[in-house]
Amino acid sequence: MGAGEGEAAGSKEKSGGGVVARTSLDGLRDKNVMQLKKLNTALFPVRYNDKYYQDAIASKDFSKLAYYSDICVGAIACRLEKKEGGAVCVYIMTLGVLAPYRGLGLGTKLLNHVFDLCVKQNISEIYLHVQTNNDDAIAFYKKFGFEITETIYQYYKNITPPDCYVLTKFIGQSATKK
Amino acid sequence: MGSSLPPKEANLFKIIVKSYETKQYKKGLKAADSILKKFPDHGETLSMKGLTLNCMDRKSEAYELVRRGLKNDLKSHVCWHVYGLLYRSDREYREAIKCYRNALRIDPDNIEILRDLSLLQAQMRDLSGFVETRQQLLTLKPNHRMNWIGFAVAHHLSSNSSKAIEVLEAYEGTLEDDYPPENERYEHGEMLLYKISLLEECGMLDRALEEMHKMESKIVDKLSFREQMACILLKLSRFDEAEKIYRSLLFMNPDNYKYLIAVQKCLGLYSENGQYSADDVERLSALYKSLKEEYSWSSAVKRIPLDFLEGAKFQEAADSYVRPLLTKGVPSLFSDLSPLYEHPGKANILEQLFLKLEDSIRTSGCFPGSLQMEPPSTLMWTLLLVSQHYDRRSQYDTALDKIDEAILHTPTVIDLYSIKGNILQHAGNFSAAAALANEARSMDLADRYLNSECVMQMLQADQVGLAEKTAVLFTKDGDQHNNLHDMQCMWYELASGESYFRQGDLGRALKNFLAVEKHYTDMTEDQFDFHSYCLRKMTLRAYVSMLKFQDRLHAHEYFQKAAAGAIRCYMKLHDSPSKSSTEENDEMSKLPAAQRKKLRQKQKKAEARAKREAEEKQEDEITSSNSSKSGKKQQSRPVDLDPRGEKLVQVEDPLAEATKYLKLLQNSSSDSLETHIFSFELNMRKQKVLLAFQAVKQLIRLDGNNPDSHRCLIRFFHKINSLPAPGTDSEKLIWNVLEAERPDLRQLHGKSLVEVNSNFLEKHNASLTHRAAAAEMMYLLEPDKKLQAIKLIEDSTNSTASGNGVLGPIKEWGIQDCINVHKLLDTVFAEQDVANRWKIRCAEYFPCSTYFEGARSATSYIADSSFESSTENGNVLNPEAKIKEGDAGSLNGTVHIVDDLSNLSMR
Repeated sequence: MGAGEGEAAGSKEKSGGGVVARTSLDGLRDKNVMQLKKLNTALFPVRYNDKYYQDAIASKDFSKLAYYSDICVGAIACRLEKKEGGAVCVYIMTLGVLAPYRGLGLGTKLLNHVFDLCVKQNISEIYLHVQTNNDDAIAFYKKFGFEITETIYQYYKNITPPDCYVLTKFIGQSATKK
Repeated sequence: MGSSLPPKEANLFKIIVKSYETKQYKKGLKAADSILKKFPDHGETLSMKGLTLNCMDRKSEAYELVRRGLKNDLKSHVCWHVYGLLYRSDREYREAIKCYRNALRIDPDNIEILRDLSLLQAQMRDLSGFVETRQQLLTLKPNHRMNWIGFAVAHHLSSNSSKAIEVLEAYEGTLEDDYPPENERYEHGEMLLYKISLLEECGMLDRALEEMHKMESKIVDKLSFREQMACILLKLSRFDEAEKIYRSLLFMNPDNYKYLIAVQKCLGLYSENGQYSADDVERLSALYKSLKEEYSWSSAVKRIPLDFLEGAKFQEAADSYVRPLLTKGVPSLFSDLSPLYEHPGKANILEQLFLKLEDSIRTSGCFPGSLQMEPPSTLMWTLLLVSQHYDRRSQYDTALDKIDEAILHTPTVIDLYSIKGNILQHAGNFSAAAALANEARSMDLADRYLNSECVMQMLQADQVGLAEKTAVLFTKDGDQHNNLHDMQCMWYELASGESYFRQGDLGRALKNFLAVEKHYTDMTEDQFDFHSYCLRKMTLRAYVSMLKFQDRLHAHEYFQKAAAGAIRCYMKLHDSPSKSSTEENDEMSKLPAAQRKKLRQKQKKAEARAKREAEEKQEDEITSSNSSKSGKKQQSRPVDLDPRGEKLVQVEDPLAEATKYLKLLQNSSSDSLETHIFSFELNMRKQKVLLAFQAVKQLIRLDGNNPDSHRCLIRFFHKINSLPAPGTDSEKLIWNVLEAERPDLRQLHGKSLVEVNSNFLEKHNASLTHRAAAAEMMYLLEPDKKLQAIKLIEDSTNSTASGNGVLGPIKEWGIQDCINVHKLLDTVFAEQDVANRWKIRCAEYFPCSTYFEGARSATSYIADSSFESSTENGNVLNPEAKIKEGDAGSLNGTVHIVDDLSNLSMR
């Protein structure tokens, strides 16, 4: 995908005329968690620990693998967190699509899936961290109604800038999709 | 039955029989005991008690009682019948038949015994006896449908089809016009189709056709009816009518190759060897073009033209065949195309085509000449295809580069890892292949196929323990721990056997090979139930084809492999009798002391571990059987008393054992070179000169140009020439036979063995395997020419085989042939230096090969092995050491990506 490339236009725009590839989502289980590991190795310079994968699986329907004509090409991994006062919020740990398959609407599909689920389960807050200079990502999320709610300085240890924003989306009962 | 007993006891006897039939064995036993209290010597009661005990797993008592019963009442058909049943339950069919015959002598018209006898005769293929018994049954009960059918089948089996037809027609004569009733329509239809197939078999095609027209309304299986009709019409050369039916069948299933080939035959457009005149190709193209228009969804009509088209037309057809499949993503595309590599020239055309497609997709995102953007996955599938193509042409380096590129493009496609594993296997790095297969497996733990693939690769890499653990992941079935054997999982047993053999563990190797052999015995047994079932259900066509299949059962590839494995084990046992401790010490003493110590420790550790594992397993089994409430009811599985096959290794006469399996191979696979090579090796060891000579003759008959045939020929006559002049009469006799036969061998005609050998070399001068055979024989015949022989091998050139055009510009030598040559130099010639020189030379040809320690053989092929281990061991990576993502620069423009965790402390 790629922020600002017209994500909202739907999921079939890139595959040229006539060739309509099937996209679908599948749940994350211990039997296929290796797919997510392969994706993360390709996408992120970080090696995630076991807890990350346990959390992702434990979030049940919130973490999803995205398939493009039966090939796993992207994923959203979420963690459910309890806030003070007992309300549940969703923390998006990672969202990513393999480079050759960006711009096909899979990121949108994954994100919308999480929004829909939040509405269904009456969850009103989704948040994530993003490095302050990652303009593409910030633009992408803003398009979906995320807002910068906080800046954490010295969040990262080994990269510059070490600061990050917290991006949050509050879901009202009406505004499910952008 | 029980006639000699007073009424009360006679009644009790009836109870025994009834309880036996209804499997209420305890009740029957009670009744038997109460008769025996009064009449302790009553033969029939004793027999019945024995039979009952037999069903309660008390075998030895059973035999004793049945025999005692018979002794007390030799004139009782019951006692004989029971004795026969007992033998039958132990699969001793020949003995059982004898008992039944004795019973029938006393009571010739006993239908039950006759029926039991007929089943045994069918099983043992005592066909004339089978006909006889079936005739008796029919005479006794002609109103029984099954007896008519049984009699007909018996005639058919004993190759008297016309008699079988007569019987069936006589049977039809007994039927009313309105036969069959609604609930027997299928059975009757099957009988009619069976009869028609018999008519066809006898060549009475017109009558068969007539019969079909007459009986059409009574035949339920319409599909078989039409196939049969079309087949007969085709045989009668009534092509137009046949074609019409085949076309209608194609309408139902346009992917059925049989129908398509039949249509070709109807049009006179079929040749066995796939060679067609230009004119025929033209007509075939037109045929398939029209079929393609009619059945656009059929893949068969698109694929078949690739077989007969040539040159530019082939390229065009292949191009349009491959494109949509690459767009769609069909992992099996290459195996679909791989038969085309047998056709000369086609491989080169495919290579050009694939590379053109790859280049176009890579640069423009479209196929050549198309404006339509391909989905991103097309490049990955194209790379996979190109990689498999190079693998097929033994260009492993290029294949690996291409597959790596595909993995980099889309690292989540499991097939890529499996295929990479296969390439590495072909290139000679088995452990890397196993690692790749394991990686593929880990990506979908619910996929049994990936699991099995992985097990196979592990066995190939001699990781037997790991393989077993992996295999068991999919075999656990409730309490049952390992049911690989029960499931007759033969590929697994064969591969383990081969692996143990390679590792020198002959006991375990034999155990696995013999297990496979046992499966085949079981399969032969398994037909028993069908002799009665199929006659009753009237599935006669299927029944007869099943019997014919059973007659060829031991020709099956898996059996051949198992028998070959077992024979090799037994020969090795003979050559180096029971790996005695002295021998082991010999081997060890060659090593330096420190290494020896290490090796001993290693062995001890391995032994201890194996012991521990076995104990654990047993404990597991005990606890699991305890935990299940029905534990006692379940048949307790017999404990394997010889898990390591140690008893198997201690056979008295290994060659006699081997001969048993050789005979099976000779009966069923007499056209395989391997069979006769074994026969030669065994009989040479047994000093059976004439039998060894037979084997040589068979080898020459099958393929006189084969290097192994040549070896056997030379070795045989070299041995004969070196024997002392015959002394005894029998020796003279053998001599005379050989002298008489010798001129018949063309190869030998008035030439010395040295000449024969050099002629052979001259004829096959360019081939490595032939040169090696000639060199080995040169050394055997003239030991002083050792250096010359070695030079012969070393002077072989690994030329590029572009000449034949089949596989293009690739090196000719295969990796296995080169390994064999290395072993030859190392063991037969016993020249370490030469062998090492050979090894270095081959390491260049096969850089991935671990055997030759090629330059790439030590490379780790797992993309990210540290990643592997860290996740598997559950190491939590130190969060401090981690960099956070989000660095767009290093991410190739990865969009967004959100961070995560690790900084919990910060929150």
